[in-house]
Amino acid sequence: MQEIINKYPAGKQKSALLPVLHLAQEQFNGWLDVPVMDYVAGLLQLDPIEVYEVASFYSMYNLKPVGKFVFEVCQTGPCMLNGSDDIIQYIKSKLQIGVGETTSDGLFTLKTVECLGACGYAPMMQLGKHYREHLTPNKVDEIVEECRKQAALATNGNGYQS
Amino acid sequence: MLLEKAHIEGIKHYPVYRKEGGYASVEKALKMKPEEIVEEVKVSGLRGRGGAGFPTGMKWSFLAKPEGVPRYLVCNADESEPGTFKDRFLMEFIPHLLIEGMIVSSYALGCNSSYIYIRGEYHWIAEILEEAIQEARDNGWLGDNIQGSGFNCNVYVQRGAGAYICGEETALLESLEGKRGNPRIKPPFPAVKGLWGCPTVVNNVETIAAVVPIINQGGAAYASIGVGKSTGTKLISACGNINKPGVYEIDMTISVEEFIFSDEYCGGIPNGKRLKACIPGGSSVPILPANLLLTTAKGEKRMMNYESLADGGFATGTMMGSGGFIVLDEDQCIVKHTYTLARFYRHESCGQCSPCREGTGWMEKILWNIEQGKGKMSDIDLLWDIQRKIEGNTICPLGDAAAWPVAAAIRHFRDEFEWHVNNPELCTKQNYGLAHYADPVYVPAT
Repeated sequence: MQEIINKYPAGKQKSALLPVLHLAQEQFNGWLDVPVMDYVAGLLQLDPIEVYEVASFYSMYNLKPVGKFVFEVCQTGPCMLNGSDDIIQYIKSKLQIGVGETTSDGLFTLKTVECLGACGYAPMMQLGKHYREHLTPNKVDEIVEECRKQAALATNGNGYQS
Repeated sequence: MLLEKAHIEGIKHYPVYRKEGGYASVEKALKMKPEEIVEEVKVSGLRGRGGAGFPTGMKWSFLAKPEGVPRYLVCNADESEPGTFKDRFLMEFIPHLLIEGMIVSSYALGCNSSYIYIRGEYHWIAEILEEAIQEARDNGWLGDNIQGSGFNCNVYVQRGAGAYICGEETALLESLEGKRGNPRIKPPFPAVKGLWGCPTVVNNVETIAAVVPIINQGGAAYASIGVGKSTGTKLISACGNINKPGVYEIDMTISVEEFIFSDEYCGGIPNGKRLKACIPGGSSVPILPANLLLTTAKGEKRMMNYESLADGGFATGTMMGSGGFIVLDEDQCIVKHTYTLARFYRHESCGQCSPCREGTGWMEKILWNIEQGKGKMSDIDLLWDIQRKIEGNTICPLGDAAAWPVAAAIRHFRDEFEWHVNNPELCTKQNYGLAHYADPVYVPAT
């Protein structure tokens, strides 16, 4: 926290709001509940409204609970030209969820997003910190499998409960 | 010039980057006066690579220098224009080039704290930059008294959180201050009142990286590459229906035809399909049908540079923009493609100005209706009317960026819109195809 605030001149700690919200979201199950935002406001000496208005403006902050793995599939022009509609349809039928929904086991959320800057490697999605590019139905199968394995490992190893 | 060394193994890290001549421009710059560096950049003819193409040296010379007030350099790495992914490539594969450019530019402008504002989704690239900054600091290129020159400089990385509008420089500054990305009314311009109310220069990643070869070779040598006011090299990110999507560094003397069809660049269109249309400079610049794309209205070969792409104005030309080059083959539907762009701009409108907030949503809905075979002939005129009322009537250029793609699609492909209206059932099952506006017998020269 202090390391982030030190990037800015004295008294300009409000600038740390975006990075701190990213951190908070990582720490608190991938979304920002009101008490979490209030806590951030306290840390940065801001009014809660200053945090809410920022959290609701930027698309990367989730204001509702999400699954452990969030598939954020791009659907803008260049990805559409390369078949993103089919990929979104495939994920919907494979996971049996609609856009914006989470699987009943709490593992997967499907979101459609607008251009993520991977147009040459379309179709693509963001999964956590990284991009998954040149998507095909087979590749989606592999990614889902990989996530399920990772979740199972976490359950056995670290007592992770979805 | 920017990417020629990007493929060398290990160039991502300091030892190899330095061995390949990295940070030489800092050594050279620190022996020059700051105003001499600004002069070199002016002589180079470098134009802002983010999309607007404004001369960088001139932008730098506007920076106010009041006594006792800090000045800031902010690098705009919020690359979000659909079709554009060039800055990502540069930062991911040769991050020290940006850091080196940041140090030289900060010295030229007298900035002791500089920020790289990177789009939040490029999370892993932010980490690559942080690592490069740490390596630069460990080797005495950042921090206090750089290389014994007495110049202090720190570079910080800040991640956005998903908002196209933050690529607009004043929205970016708002975001960097921890606020919603609502653009500011100009004037005052950032050069006078920018980050935290202090004089600020905001430059694109590619622009700042280009300062490195300009200082190494001299502004005049840089200006000798290219043609006319399109000096130096330009990164083009090519995507859509082409055989070899990717990032290419071009000198601006090649033709559009060569860029699309030669194996050195895009490698032509897959599956032997024909070229229908292209958006050469990121989604907001006008789309052109194949015939106008390859040849200007005057009958000249269209070239990949600022002047030639803009030849004919918006009536028959387009713009270089950010260099996001989107190619559409004969099977693509112009209405559907325009719809996805309208949806993008509706999603990204910050909501401050009514024409943009309301108009982008109307355009999206009308385009969706036409695409679904539920449109009326009067909808096409309504779309035209809406885009005209958005353009120029908003605080920032997002309104223009949303209006132009719709305007150009109707201007050049009106018959395809009318076909959708006249064939409500057929248009949901098949595409309009090439029809008469593109050259159906076009055969690439190579």
